[in-house]
Amino acid sequence: MSTVTSTRPPAGPRSPAGGAPRKRPRQNNVLPHAFLAALLVYFLVPFWWVIVAASKDAAGLFGGSNPLWFATDVDYLGNLQQLFTFDGGIYARWLLNSALYALAGGVGATVLSVAAGYGFAKYRFPFRRAFFAILLGSVMVPLTALVIPTFLLMSELRLTNTMWAVILPSLLNPFGVYLMHVYARDAVPDELLDAARVDGAGELRTFVQVALPLMRPAVVTVLLLSFVGTWNNFFLPLVMLNDNRLFPVTVGLNLWQGLASANNGGGTSLWSLIIIGALVSIIPLVVAFVSLQKYWQGGLTIGSLK
Amino acid sequence: MTLVSPAAPAAAPTRPARRRPASRGREWLGLVFVAPFALVFLVFLVAPMAYAFYLSLFSSGLATGTRFTGFANYAKAFTDENFLSGVWFVVRFSLVLIPVQMLVSLAVALVIDGLTTRFARFSRLMIFLPYAIPAVIGALMWGFLYSPNFGPLDDIFGTFGADAPFLLSRDLVFYGLMNVVTWQWAGYYMIILYAALQGIDPSLYEAARIDGASSWQIVWRIKIPLVLPALFLILVFALIGTLQFFNEPQILRFLASGSIGGDFTPNIYAYTLAFSQGQFNYASAVSFALGAVIFVAVYLFLFLTRRRGSFLS
Amino acid sequence: MKHTHLSAIAAAGLAATLLAACGDDVGSGSAAGASAAAGGGGNDSLSCTNEIQVEGVPQVTVWAWYPNMETVVDNFNSSHEDVQVCWTNAGQGNDQYDKFQTAIAAGTGAPDVVMLESDRIPNYVIQDALVDISGYGYEDVQANFSEGAWKDVSVGDAVYAAPVDGGPMAMIYRTDVFEQYGVTPPTTWEEYEAAARAVKDAGGPLFGDFGANVPAVVMALQIQAGAQPFEYDPANPTEISVALDDPASVKVLDYWAGLVQDGLVGTQDQFTPEYISGVVGGDYATYVSAAWAPGYLSGAGVGEGADAGTFAVAPLPQWEGADPVSVNWGGSAFAVTTQAADPELAAGVAFDLYADEESLTDGWQNQVIFPLNQDVLTSAEFVDYEVGFFDGQQANKEVYVPAADAYEGFTYAPFGQFYYQSLTEQIAAINAGEVTGAEAAAELQETVTAYAEEQGFTVTD
Repeated sequence: MSTVTSTRPPAGPRSPAGGAPRKRPRQNNVLPHAFLAALLVYFLVPFWWVIVAASKDAAGLFGGSNPLWFATDVDYLGNLQQLFTFDGGIYARWLLNSALYALAGGVGATVLSVAAGYGFAKYRFPFRRAFFAILLGSVMVPLTALVIPTFLLMSELRLTNTMWAVILPSLLNPFGVYLMHVYARDAVPDELLDAARVDGAGELRTFVQVALPLMRPAVVTVLLLSFVGTWNNFFLPLVMLNDNRLFPVTVGLNLWQGLASANNGGGTSLWSLIIIGALVSIIPLVVAFVSLQKYWQGGLTIGSLK
Repeated sequence: MTLVSPAAPAAAPTRPARRRPASRGREWLGLVFVAPFALVFLVFLVAPMAYAFYLSLFSSGLATGTRFTGFANYAKAFTDENFLSGVWFVVRFSLVLIPVQMLVSLAVALVIDGLTTRFARFSRLMIFLPYAIPAVIGALMWGFLYSPNFGPLDDIFGTFGADAPFLLSRDLVFYGLMNVVTWQWAGYYMIILYAALQGIDPSLYEAARIDGASSWQIVWRIKIPLVLPALFLILVFALIGTLQFFNEPQILRFLASGSIGGDFTPNIYAYTLAFSQGQFNYASAVSFALGAVIFVAVYLFLFLTRRRGSFLS
Repeated sequence: MKHTHLSAIAAAGLAATLLAACGDDVGSGSAAGASAAAGGGGNDSLSCTNEIQVEGVPQVTVWAWYPNMETVVDNFNSSHEDVQVCWTNAGQGNDQYDKFQTAIAAGTGAPDVVMLESDRIPNYVIQDALVDISGYGYEDVQANFSEGAWKDVSVGDAVYAAPVDGGPMAMIYRTDVFEQYGVTPPTTWEEYEAAARAVKDAGGPLFGDFGANVPAVVMALQIQAGAQPFEYDPANPTEISVALDDPASVKVLDYWAGLVQDGLVGTQDQFTPEYISGVVGGDYATYVSAAWAPGYLSGAGVGEGADAGTFAVAPLPQWEGADPVSVNWGGSAFAVTTQAADPELAAGVAFDLYADEESLTDGWQNQVIFPLNQDVLTSAEFVDYEVGFFDGQQANKEVYVPAADAYEGFTYAPFGQFYYQSLTEQIAAINAGEVTGAEAAAELQETVTAYAEEQGFTVTD
């Protein structure tokens, strides 16, 4: 849990996520708590709304019932069943696609970032500074501006409208490399690596068995960040994919939104499906963030260390 | 290394792990570690940029076909009202949004840093949560909440006897979008600031208190100066992100096509040009010009703030 | 690293990237290739939403978004031994058009057959994206559709799509509101305004809606008033006439601008949940719309709750009562793309898909489409049908069929996408009270003319 401690003097760092209690003079905490409570309401209202609205049918949604309270006939099961059976159960497929893209893109980007960050931090290879400077410059390149030419290049390779068109560009994560570089440089002592080498370990083994364990908090953070980035991605799959069975859930819901506004689902009210679909789609990430909070809350510190 | 200067805010003037050159023979192995990323970098960043630049040197017309026109597209972009109005919008948006966002996230981080209750920990997590929500879904949810007919605003304003504002109307869409983005990102920034605050050596506070400093003075004299690097980092990211604003307005367009046109932001304009009008050449120029504007803006920003201490070390 | 100055890094990064950019021959070489190579054959991704019923025969890929498309495709595939349709829903309206436009630019990725609204067809014809199908069995089905229907899918003598459904326009209204405020269905626009005023003065709801996102409606209403926004002769492909600020166009814009200014009609974007909830809640006394609108509304849940049985339809109000003009909004056709591997086979599919009685009946009975097929339009079952949404009114007989019969067809712009976007902007400006109708028209004329010239057209008035 002592994520960033290695970047600090050993004396007295508080573990960032744990919020280790420290002594301070008694103070009046009512005001700060009231402030937090007010903010909480603001930040949670949309969540509350989507939970409530997902229980309603179209008539309940638009018919003027209280938008922030449940309808008289709460029908989660009915809506869920419709969600997963509409159009041959395509929604489940979208969820799986999202998971696949996020996993493949997230894991792939993380592996590349970890290796490259470690390489930049621990080896003085030729042109290293130049490469790293380019990398830093690229953090400032607006990635969405690359979507259009990437699309054209991918279509040259006949890769548009395939899963690769979404996964491959997601592997690019310059900021991840930078984070890993900072972390590897500070958290992996050269002495330790040299000791491993003296013991006869190869470079790869040294990396995997000595450096990697030390870099774990940063790895989890980069993994989580790229996972979220890919899961939430909209522009790239929107442009790359035509076949709706390849859509991730973000683009799928957007498709339904288009269908719902201009036409209809052939008798099914798509709006209630869209809302329960939105609710279901955010559950995995919310669960991931809540359950992994020890890791990312620590890991994000690296970002602030600049 | 500037952007990167790892000087831990206050406490760590020295790095624990000093670099020591490993034996020379294996230094080139670093290239092996870097190579896979470098390949992806070449294929998905350098090549598309090169390609976009190449495409931007041509012009195509429905009735004329494609021909080489050099930098004509750039000359056109920087006199194109649609492009410039989009740039002006994102610049204005950044100027208002970013300070608000930073203020909110800093305030929350400071408050949470000063509390150790379960409620504070819970709040920290919940305020961060919107970051995990796809922009598509965030925009969708707020779109519903903004509705005068079936959103809650009507009830809320109604109790005060006022008419609810329609936050997607032409006049107010600026604030409507600002709210969505603040909601989505403030928590993320708050976590970064919070982590930086937690990294400050508590003995500094003790010392200050012994010297008779009040809580406010500690905030102003110790905490804020020490998290300045984190604040700058957030600022740079927010700036890059806001200038290429796309997802939220694109999603909300279907609710408010009169307020959010096809040239609302430069990125939306590039998308419109490319994907609904098929003008890939000009769209590439707009993309590239946008990239240049962002690069220059961020660079200028870094340059102007250079003297502020640790950020540029 | 620590001492490196930021500017050096940044400059180095930019320079290196640009250098790399200039040296990148692979990317640039293929660039020319991408724009040149059209016609790669759209069959490369054979992932169909439907089940293929006959294996081992050629497949034709189709993009379409009709809500009952699955039924239609199954009907087609089960009745065809020699060809099978592989269908994808690539999004509705603009979503699909964006994808199609992209596929055209990329030279690959388009389907063999694509569903298009008539007003979009010239837009793709001018990009050589559609195949003239008049040589592929057009004569066999010519008699099935009216001349107006064919005109909408043709440019000059060339036929670019097989008509399926149309959108003859009419005025849906709330009988309860009309009754409460003692107004009768207006037959002219003058009466429409008068009725709107009467309802408003009596404290009633808005009379209609002038949404910025329905430029097609505004154009149709201008055409109704006698406007001829675009004239275009495919024999002379670089010449076009643009007339967006003629008296008829200005008259229509000013008329609606006046209604908006006086608070008689709303300015809400249509097709949004906001608008639907307004319709359900009785916020609008009328809905100027097309024959597919009842299906759309009931699909969105309108007319099912407290508002059940409150809707009726009347013919579209006219400018000159004595000389009614019928106009069209929406309605779609199947076109064959130039990326089709086998254009003749694809044309056969375009003509046959959604042309069998079973599919058509399914379509109109579920109110998904208003068919243009004359066999249906003249069948007693269709004409006499008592539409549930309109509380049993024989809407087809009374309103929609006469409107469809009177429709003469129209020539749309070869850059419809841009025109609609500009029109949307101007409607929004009118709704915000920033410009008058005449100013909007003048601005439109200027913008669209400039665009046309930039695209290489010679613009005449």
